[in-house]
Amino acid sequence: MIIRYRDVWKAFDGPVLTGVDLGVEKGEMFGIFGPSGTGKSVLLKTTIGLIALDRGDVEVEGESVYYGDRKALRRIRKKVGYVFQHAALFDSLSVYENVEMGVPEDELKHLSRREGTRKIWEALELANLEPREVLSKIPAELSGGMKKRVGIARAIVGRPRILLWDEPTTGLDPVNTIAVERLINQLSDQLKVTSVIVTHDIEGGLAMCDRVTMLDSGRLRFVGTPEAFRQDGDQVVRAFIHRSSAEAALAEVSHR
Amino acid sequence: MESISAPTPALHLRPLAIVGRVFGGMAEHAGEIWSLLVSSAMAVATLQVSLRSVMQQVYVMGVQSIPIVLVSAVLAGVVTSQQGGYQFQGSIPLYILGSVVVASVVLELGPVLTAIVLVGRVGARITAELGTMQVTEQIEAFHAVGRDPIAILAAPRIIAGIIVVPILVGIADIVGILSGMVSAQLTTGLGPESFLYGARLFWHSWDLFYSLMKAGAFGFAIPVIAIHMGFRTVGGAAGVGRTTTASVMFMTLTVLILDAFFPPLFLQ
Repeated sequence: MIIRYRDVWKAFDGPVLTGVDLGVEKGEMFGIFGPSGTGKSVLLKTTIGLIALDRGDVEVEGESVYYGDRKALRRIRKKVGYVFQHAALFDSLSVYENVEMGVPEDELKHLSRREGTRKIWEALELANLEPREVLSKIPAELSGGMKKRVGIARAIVGRPRILLWDEPTTGLDPVNTIAVERLINQLSDQLKVTSVIVTHDIEGGLAMCDRVTMLDSGRLRFVGTPEAFRQDGDQVVRAFIHRSSAEAALAEVSHR
Repeated sequence: MESISAPTPALHLRPLAIVGRVFGGMAEHAGEIWSLLVSSAMAVATLQVSLRSVMQQVYVMGVQSIPIVLVSAVLAGVVTSQQGGYQFQGSIPLYILGSVVVASVVLELGPVLTAIVLVGRVGARITAELGTMQVTEQIEAFHAVGRDPIAILAAPRIIAGIIVVPILVGIADIVGILSGMVSAQLTTGLGPESFLYGARLFWHSWDLFYSLMKAGAFGFAIPVIAIHMGFRTVGGAAGVGRTTTASVMFMTLTVLILDAFFPPLFLQ
């Protein structure tokens, strides 16, 4: 297992995660589904210690996220690229500086300006952006789809072994949604990374992922292959699939 | 893990519960501020704070604040001079006005008015900026890429505050005295020589040091509170608005409370 969630508990005003146990295998693309507010993004954030846990632990390549020292956490974060739901680009920095932030600090110190630029250039190209056009722009000058791609470039520029995707297609039109899904597939193949994807887009997620899970009321309702998920007899799972399909159809109609 | 809500206390215990909540909230703020200060000091000690970021903040907080600081200093000097002149006419020798203007501006109006102006101009800006970064996950993004937001966002602002506020107060002191002197001549006919004679009569060099010390304390408190409030922002755009308002209130109160502590500590 490359990622192991062990008895993860988290509550804010009410319980969010209630004893989640889950493992992600090396090299697989793993999808996390579930209704809004069930703790999908919270679970993803615990992978690199962005949220303090009430109980439990997460291990990445055997190292503890919550019980290790600061150096261990830094090592883990170096191995992991995180794509935020709304890109979370740094407003005051240019695209160049934003992507440069993704290069680990100790590596950046040993890179010449030219080598650094080449690295950033490659990451932007991998994210299907034309570097010449965007490098000097600030996030406010980019479209939603472009921001997302810059966020992806920032996540992959450090050549991580694991990519975490938090709702990568949320807020995008159907054309951009398909493009980003293709990009996720393409990057997973090219970079040979393990991907964990939190998504509302059930059809897209099922088509991309090797295994999926469904979170409901802070607990795992299902873990298995996409085929098994489609055929699962659990009423909650079935209701979720039907509701999500209906919402997706509605969204497509409203975009036309 | 079920969430358990606290039981409602009996009627006669409710005031106690309110006091408990207030003190609990204050302890939480104090703990977080202490943690922010320790982390910032560690970032400085381990040379993680870039000089470029500090200079950038010195420019934003200091250079860009000069016009508003000048306006408030001129008005403070003019008003003190006019009111003093009005009260002294026919009773106290008018050259004493020089002393009153200098003492008022250096001991009180220069540092406090400048600090209040900076609460609105600098403090509110810091809270809104960091609050927006917090609710748009930019602060988490710093952690995700292995960077320390304290070293990048907090420490440069605190250092810049400690550097620029005493300089701005020094400028405000000089401008306030000069504008008071000009105003005294225009409204009461008191010449610059008499004004300066009166000013020298009761002048203590310690007063200037006192003024700059106060400025240093304000320059430290304003960014620290603004950053702390920015980092604890939740709840989208409305949350940023709420936190910024609360931050301005805390900073203003802190400036006034610190101001009240200075005379018994340093003017005895």
